[in-house]
Amino acid sequence: MILFSLVLIALALVGAPLFAIIGASAMWGFMQADIPQAVMGIELYRIAEMPILLAIPLFTFAGYVLSESQAPSRLVRLSNALLGWMPGGLAVVCLATCALFSAFTGASGVTIIALGALLYPALIEGGYREGFSLGVVTSSGSLGLLFAPSLPLILYGVVSQASIDDLFRAGVTPGILMVVMLSIWCIWSSRKNRKAVKQFSWGEVRQALREAGWEIPLPIVVLGGIYSGYFAVSEAAAVTALYVLILYLLIRREIKLVEMPRIMRESMVLVGGIMMILGVSIASTSLMIDLEVPQKMLAAINSHVSGQVSFLLLMLLFLLVLGAILDIFSALVLIVPLLLPVAQSYGIHPLHFGIIFLATMELGYLTPPVGLNLFISSYRFDKPITSVYLATIPFFLILLLSVLVITFVPQLSLWLVPD
Amino acid sequence: MSKNPLIKNLGVWGQRIENGLLVLILTSMILLASTQIFLRNFLSTGFTIGDELLRILVLWLAMLGALAASRDQRHIAIDALTRHLSPRLGMLAALFICVFVAVVCGFISHASFLFVRGAYIANESVLGGQPAWVFQAILPIGFGLMSWRYLTHTATRIRILLGKAGPDDSV
Repeated sequence: MILFSLVLIALALVGAPLFAIIGASAMWGFMQADIPQAVMGIELYRIAEMPILLAIPLFTFAGYVLSESQAPSRLVRLSNALLGWMPGGLAVVCLATCALFSAFTGASGVTIIALGALLYPALIEGGYREGFSLGVVTSSGSLGLLFAPSLPLILYGVVSQASIDDLFRAGVTPGILMVVMLSIWCIWSSRKNRKAVKQFSWGEVRQALREAGWEIPLPIVVLGGIYSGYFAVSEAAAVTALYVLILYLLIRREIKLVEMPRIMRESMVLVGGIMMILGVSIASTSLMIDLEVPQKMLAAINSHVSGQVSFLLLMLLFLLVLGAILDIFSALVLIVPLLLPVAQSYGIHPLHFGIIFLATMELGYLTPPVGLNLFISSYRFDKPITSVYLATIPFFLILLLSVLVITFVPQLSLWLVPD
Repeated sequence: MSKNPLIKNLGVWGQRIENGLLVLILTSMILLASTQIFLRNFLSTGFTIGDELLRILVLWLAMLGALAASRDQRHIAIDALTRHLSPRLGMLAALFICVFVAVVCGFISHASFLFVRGAYIANESVLGGQPAWVFQAILPIGFGLMSWRYLTHTATRIRILLGKAGPDDSV
């Protein structure tokens, strides 16, 4: 038993697909507990029994199409026209556009490739230091994590069975807090860079607005529809997918029909990867519930940790380490079912817990050894990984501070949620 | 993977079918989901089986996506130590991983086959009277193909280790 676990851990560390690791441990557990093998099939088939999952392929596909179109450059131009006049304006543009864009693309690294590639050279040209520019671009690549319709938010709703609508509301203020805190830092640290400040011009705003005329309705309809409760999440996903398909294929013609199969395949590789991990994790979670693992964990933690504050601090530490080794999707489906009941026993609201979890995991994008954003930036901008890492440290610290605020001020997450 | 033209053709056609199905299912999903919204909001009606069909399409798409990820070996993984291994050790680890994934997928395929057989025997139905096993069959088939795919990756790795093929010589 212990030997088997050690082999699995070793295999995971040298890069074996996580779905196979989780699947193997679940199958092994079924055998040990004399549970019929067919249960694995039953659990996997639950993928076809959760209506909300429809949103995942649709939003992922739409995000990939958006990142292949010219939408990123129009988005940058528009926000630059609106915000470029401030000191540090371009850095704030970077934060705002990336937050919006990564909410739609699910913080899968696409943002750095699609938007960072535009913004990084612009920042350098605007007189920002290289390290600073690299740090902004890298750390904003996952800034949309807490905003609808981000994939990890939806997945947390699936795993925790919290209401997705409430979850979307809970993420708004903490998400804005992160963007604002980073913005303040950017404005303050580039206060001496006069080159970056450009004149505000109504003409440029008008032109940029006209240019982005087809894209502007998208976030308004989707976010407005979701936050007002007019659309269900999967409906919003369907509308988004159809809209971007028609817009970039027929109206703007920025993506050729022959490219579509490749984009579809690319996006579904990610969806398949997430769904496999979700499927086998459902199986391993119900096995753990059968074996009463959550209760045992709860008892063990309750007897050692007293008080909400010390529990929250320990949890943050644990999640930081977790985020540094595990990707956000695997962490969500594996750890949330175990940790959520424990957190609830300490009086933490499930929505607040979800926001803490995701906000901490967002830091994981910036921490070695597996921080996804670090690698994508290093690869995309052809910089050594260590210099990317050093460049993100101030941004990491600010995000860490914001996570602490989000953790210890639950009202930030809960005030928009109806009782 | 193989110099045998039959197997090579099988691989090429397999990939075409896989990509074709992927495009077909994703496109139908977008169209069906949008139609449902239109019918519900403007005509206050809808296909009763539409939502159930959409959920089944999600499963099919997930399996096809996983199959595509298996072809490119792009499943979500930790990959923390791999960079620090020596090339030879890295190759051995990769070989071992391929065997491991092939075996696990084989087991899961068998387990889901038992599940599908149960549904067949119990005469379960979906979508207003269609046999459920037909739609569930994607599970054993998908995992079976994933197992097969990792076996071909294994064969490729062995050939590379033995110095008989370059790293790119795979199907």
